[in-house]
Amino acid sequence: MADRAGTAPLPLDPRAVRTAATAADVEDAIRQCGAVLQEVGAVDGSYIEAMLERERSISTYVGEGVAIPHGTLTSKEAVRHDAICVLRFPEGVDWHGEHVTVCVGIAARGDGHLRLLAELAQILLDPDRAAALRAATEADQVIQLLQPDGEEDSE
Amino acid sequence: MPSIEGKDVRKLIVACDAGMGSSVMLASTLRKQLKGTPVSVEHTPVNSIPGDADVIVCHTGLAGRARASAPGVVLVPFQVFIGDPAVTRVVTAIKNGGTIDG
Repeated sequence: MADRAGTAPLPLDPRAVRTAATAADVEDAIRQCGAVLQEVGAVDGSYIEAMLERERSISTYVGEGVAIPHGTLTSKEAVRHDAICVLRFPEGVDWHGEHVTVCVGIAARGDGHLRLLAELAQILLDPDRAAALRAATEADQVIQLLQPDGEEDSE
Repeated sequence: MPSIEGKDVRKLIVACDAGMGSSVMLASTLRKQLKGTPVSVEHTPVNSIPGDADVIVCHTGLAGRARASAPGVVLVPFQVFIGDPAVTRVVTAIKNGGTIDG
């Protein structure tokens, strides 16, 4: 695997995991993801608008009740460092007709987030682990589930 | 419409708008599925698809931009990021033989 340009594999920051969030709609959920990314110092406020813009062009719903809101190519300027947040909405959010209970917000200007996303992809292919992610009530459980398995050859 | 035999594919590109989200996940999944084949999988923004790409997969919403960015290359649009039948057909054609139309 390649950790280019000082972008070391990213651990999931416990401060960026919220397991009992509620959101009125997609925009509210995305704004909350952006706010968490801003709180951990990963992005400027302008990134949130880019996340909303990206969502309007193509839904970031990826299946199994999970959406992965993130910005646009041009909004990389607003990213200070790679980061991921996980917000769980136990009551669900109507995501353009899909029922979303987990949002994985992404801020990236390098490759630090690739292993976490690779692990998320594996979870989405495994209905049991996807169900466990949707049901996780503790941040530790989320972090454990997204722990890279160590054999991913991401580039 | 261009087409390519699965056995002739060497470089598979997953194109995305920002190259930071869904394309990353799909590329890592494809890399695992194509382990042991001579195919390399890369994810790139839709406006910087490398010239030696053999097959491009991208979301249907980006297909127009991908087509303009890499004319003449086999392009397979998909709807679902994980488990889309169109992507599964590409993997099957590479591993078991068959034609990929795009």
